[in-house]
Amino acid sequence: MTESKIYFKFDGKKYAGNQGDTIAAALLRNNVRLIGRSFKYHRPRGIYTCGIEEPNALVQIINEHNEPNVRATVKKIYEGMIVKSQNRWPSLKTDLGSINNILSPIFSAGFYYKTFMGPKGFWKNVYEPLIRRTAGLGKPPKEFKSKSIHQHHNVDVIIVGGGLSGLLAARKFAGTNYDVLLVEREDAFGGVLKNANKIKSINDQPADEWLEKTERLIRNSNNIKILKNTLVTTYNFSDHLIALEDKNVGKPQDNEKPELVLHKIRTKHTILANGHIERFITFRNNDLPGVMLAASFEKYLNRYGFVPDESPVIFTNNSSTYSLLKSLTDLGHKPKAYVDIRDQKNIEKQTLELLEKFNIPFYPKSEVEGCEGQKEVKKVSIRTKKNQITKIKTSMLCVSGGFNPDIHLFTQSKGLLKWDKDHLTFKPDRIFQKTITLGSVSGNFSYEKLLVEVEKKLSEFQGLNELEVKFEINGPEKFQIKELWETKHEKKSLWSKSFIDLQNDVTTKDLRQAVNEGFNRIEHLKRFTTNSMGTDQGKISSINALGIVSKILKKDISEVGTTTYRPPYSPVNFSAIAGRSTYEFYDPVRKTPLHSWHINQNAVFENVGQWKRPWYFKKSEDETMLQAVQREAEQVRKTAGILDGSTLGKIEIKGKDALTFVNLMYTNSFTKMKPKTGRYALMLGEDGMIKDDGIVCKINDQHFIVTTTTGNAASVLAHMEEYAQTEWPNLNLYINSITEQFATFNLSGPKSRVIMSRVFNDIDFSNDQFPFMSFDNFKYLDTEIRILRASFTGELGYEIYVPPSHALKLWQKFFISSRDFDLVPYGTETMHLLRAEKGYIIVGQDTDGTVTPLDLNLNWMIGKKKKDFIGKRSLTRTDIVRETRKQLVGLVPVDKTLGIEEGQHVIEQKDLSLPIKNPVDMLGHVTSSYFSPNLNHSVAMALIRGGKRKIGSRLFVSTENLNTIAVEVVEPNFIDPKNERMML
Amino acid sequence: MFTIRCPYCGERDQSEFSNGGEAHVARPKDPEQISDREWSEYVFIRANPKGIYYERWVHTHGCKKWFNAVRNTSTDEILKVYKMGEAPPPLKEFKNTIKTPSGEPDVGSGNFSVKKP
Repeated sequence: MTESKIYFKFDGKKYAGNQGDTIAAALLRNNVRLIGRSFKYHRPRGIYTCGIEEPNALVQIINEHNEPNVRATVKKIYEGMIVKSQNRWPSLKTDLGSINNILSPIFSAGFYYKTFMGPKGFWKNVYEPLIRRTAGLGKPPKEFKSKSIHQHHNVDVIIVGGGLSGLLAARKFAGTNYDVLLVEREDAFGGVLKNANKIKSINDQPADEWLEKTERLIRNSNNIKILKNTLVTTYNFSDHLIALEDKNVGKPQDNEKPELVLHKIRTKHTILANGHIERFITFRNNDLPGVMLAASFEKYLNRYGFVPDESPVIFTNNSSTYSLLKSLTDLGHKPKAYVDIRDQKNIEKQTLELLEKFNIPFYPKSEVEGCEGQKEVKKVSIRTKKNQITKIKTSMLCVSGGFNPDIHLFTQSKGLLKWDKDHLTFKPDRIFQKTITLGSVSGNFSYEKLLVEVEKKLSEFQGLNELEVKFEINGPEKFQIKELWETKHEKKSLWSKSFIDLQNDVTTKDLRQAVNEGFNRIEHLKRFTTNSMGTDQGKISSINALGIVSKILKKDISEVGTTTYRPPYSPVNFSAIAGRSTYEFYDPVRKTPLHSWHINQNAVFENVGQWKRPWYFKKSEDETMLQAVQREAEQVRKTAGILDGSTLGKIEIKGKDALTFVNLMYTNSFTKMKPKTGRYALMLGEDGMIKDDGIVCKINDQHFIVTTTTGNAASVLAHMEEYAQTEWPNLNLYINSITEQFATFNLSGPKSRVIMSRVFNDIDFSNDQFPFMSFDNFKYLDTEIRILRASFTGELGYEIYVPPSHALKLWQKFFISSRDFDLVPYGTETMHLLRAEKGYIIVGQDTDGTVTPLDLNLNWMIGKKKKDFIGKRSLTRTDIVRETRKQLVGLVPVDKTLGIEEGQHVIEQKDLSLPIKNPVDMLGHVTSSYFSPNLNHSVAMALIRGGKRKIGSRLFVSTENLNTIAVEVVEPNFIDPKNERMML
Repeated sequence: MFTIRCPYCGERDQSEFSNGGEAHVARPKDPEQISDREWSEYVFIRANPKGIYYERWVHTHGCKKWFNAVRNTSTDEILKVYKMGEAPPPLKEFKNTIKTPSGEPDVGSGNFSVKKP
């Protein structure tokens, strides 16, 4: 067969592979064995497996935005792919970090916890940078714009795994009324049929033919959806599964199409047919490139069609290696040796026959004690039956330590496991959800029993197809495993190590040391040693670790238990989890109807919740923020300014019981309030703490409109709904958000009345006709607007509520009508400054959820005569009436040229002795601070302990460089303390 | 993530809902007449059982309606939903519910994956 070659680069060198090859397969084809350096010791590492379980062969894909830690055994090559090895410097072959291997006695279990304890500052400046340089995996990827998407499925049955058992199950469901999803992680169905030489024929035809026929049948049935290249990573509660589909297998990423799809699957039944994973055996230097799991070797041979090594040594403790032996000898290759720990009389006769027929050196009741070589296996050291050491020259060692059902997903579903004495592994026992396990994942490694199992476990489904399948099997049917987790070392040197976790460089010595140090619970031991905590989650080794630990502890392995298997089964890219929720799609952006005008006027925007609000307007290119804010603030108090307040939350409350409800929601009393007036109001939680503030406008007793702070609009509405629905469902009312139905302008300043009269020349704005805190509706063009006289600056002010469609025109009219006054548009920063000059609070800045109205001296806002409102009872709790609570005060620096910083501590002592040895008593902190252009000095607000009583005294505020500033404690009302300006 | 059957809209994804804590905690009728202790118990103290829990949910990203649900907190199984104002189903209705996923104790966590021999 002539196939066109695919060229890719590994560490700068060009290699050719075949269509369909993984990176690992292509490199092995080119006889490249050394792939990377290990996590801690920088030991040379190669390709250990042929799939998702790979601990060693992790690489970085340079041309895919530097994607790190990609399994070379999974990722398929394509033309022009650029691959790089990881964790080595300066190069893979000569890696300086490998000195760690010699220093290894100091890198034992718990090394980081014990070593990097001091001196102070060393962690940040010395240890961490050093460790980051030498330890670890790949380098972080470059930023890229992912096109990954999410997809949802609702099905009756999901079949996880398109191997033999999965296909048999799918075959039963084909053409029935069940809605089925069949998920396979590889690009082809077949599993073991494609990987190994275990089944000779099915229904008297070659397995390949049966496979093709079955796939066609399933594909043609209209009730089964097939997902290939899709890995089920997560099995949540309530039969909710998550699977990751790779859309670009074997081809470069497409700039237009999604690279990954995250499937979210809801199902009524879950059939797990996800097979098994081979485990290794620990021996001296079991990490050298050239050591490979036997079934993985066979998979390269059968699925990828090449022989990684023509004469490997095979080391086993079970019968499964027969099929490797058969595959090799069928091709005319002869293994260097066959090492089996079992006694000859326990070894199945098929294997013995093959060994004899091809005259393969055979070592029964023997074990591999270790292997030797610098950068790859050169020699294998065997301890024979007679306890003698024999060394055999070879470049590859195939190991089989038995098989583990791939129970990861099953245990994620909260199913329980039990120890299987025949196969020496954990297998599923009690299910917790609607889970069915089929084939090797259920602990059934027998093809003969598979059909019975499928029939029995699917018998709860109605109207499934009859199955007629007859297997002819190659080799032994029984597993006949003998327990072996590690072999004893013969030779000890600094370089020699026996690994239990290849990815995290954990040795069996570390396990012993951890137990000696008292970590005798498996969950603790795992965290102390970092065993099975790598990205491979110890897929080929975690059961071995349990075996070894149970021996050290002299406990039964099921008593030791497993560590918890948590999702995901295998790492999931963040880009897939994020899906389309990135960049502009991450969170909606809300713009006011005047947004385009603001842009034209050089507004600098601030994010307030999802809203874009003008922060300040830049008058010229070189105007700084401070200059702009000072200019705006000065102009407002001189003539007038206008603010886009459209983002304020607006809620309409309507109904027979609206008055009762508003009385319960806010602290103030609204009963005697006249219609067409507004009132500044406070909303509390049941704990008495301030939740929000706003203006409550009463149209009549059945109709109110309230405003909320921009950021709390949604939560205030939800709070009202909650009480209306759950606490007082007897009240008759509707609550409705009308935030976006109105644009809001806040006009403020001594000239605002004149400006209003010019813009609305048929309305009388005189104090008698339009007093402070009154409002009315007016006809405006073909619509209606509402004008409220209110102020958040302390100046004469009006709020105009206009439908968004008319907003821009009306806004412009304000400027046209007030050219002689230099009406200034101002942003949120100036608004904050102006209100601080008046000591008005901002909920969330001067309050933080621990502040009551009493703390803010807002007792006047509490309707004490009201029988009840939310939070009322809390206001008389002993802790709330305590005089030493933190209370709001104003601060003015004694030296008027100094500025106070927000967030700084307020303290009693002037000098801080440096370095600070004893805690300094903190009275409170500065919540707001601005330089007032109208007073020409700084003004600040602070919450300090017993603040009310401290008014008139002198305190100190700390500064960034640990100096202090002397401040006078004053009433928090710095400008126009008699509030005359807004009453003008 | 589980699904919840909203009594008004039908079965929907959990992400559409918000949890509102324990259900059937009545707001005192006359708060002024009770002690600080009784009031603070109403405001701050909620049950946190492992097992059957009567709780409130709101269909935030849907009909915005509040309703009650009975959930097994150790398995996240929603056993029943009922509208606000409806009487809570008696506890004995749920006595056959599986207590915990892995048969672990009624109190405490314990992530057991292996069946106790």
